Amino acid sequence: MIPQLVTVRHRRPDGRWLRLYVPVLPVLLVLSPLLLLAVLGGLIACRVTRVSPVGALRGTGQLLRALPGTRIEVEDGQTAFLISVR
Amino acid sequence: MNEQRRQVLQMLAEGKITADEAERLIDALEREQPESPTGAAPRPNRRPKYLRVVVVDNSGGDGPGLVNVRVPLQLLRAGVRLTSLIPPQALTRVNAKLNESGVPIDLTELKPQQLEELIEQLDEVTVDVDDHDTNVHVFCE
Repeated sequence: MIPQLVTVRHRRPDGRWLRLYVPVLPVLLVLSPLLLLAVLGGLIACRVTRVSPVGALRGTGQLLRALPGTRIEVEDGQTAFLISVR
Repeated sequence: MNEQRRQVLQMLAEGKITADEAERLIDALEREQPESPTGAAPRPNRRPKYLRVVVVDNSGGDGPGLVNVRVPLQLLRAGVRLTSLIPPQALTRVNAKLNESGVPIDLTELKPQQLEELIEQLDEVTVDVDDHDTNVHVFCE
């Protein structure tokens, strides 16, 4: 299962929270033309560096599938930053 | 649903805590009570799913600093598998540079299977570093 929701939270020094909820699938759909270009660029890069394109695609897919559950939280005094992938 | 979890949800419904705090409390409850409900046989050797790195730094005057990272072990495995894609000529160049830097490690001898075994054995790893003002805790859960 690829990530469905990425949550970014940022607490400013004044104590106010900035929350950003990024639904991955709709964003991917919106950016699909760019994604297509990125995939093409990746395939060309694989050709140039003699890396197996199938292996690279499979590896990227495995990375994406493994991302849900990742959580990175950094707090420093009044400032805080959190990224959570679900 | 157990009583403690019900209480957390009740506090959330009453607005006493935020959704984020409720999530943390429920996570903590799950860590404390990983076993199945009463009556069911306890499962031996529950495999950890995440690698946690927690750093608490109380040395700053601006309040405590905290780094809390949770990485799925599956993500580490996927990353390790990606190393098998590195072309041999790149590994040779990396080896040469490592040699120049005084680190004579031959990366071509490092097989993906060995790296995966390394990740498998991470389950048992716990690292605790306690300083006067700083604590570092690395573990799997």
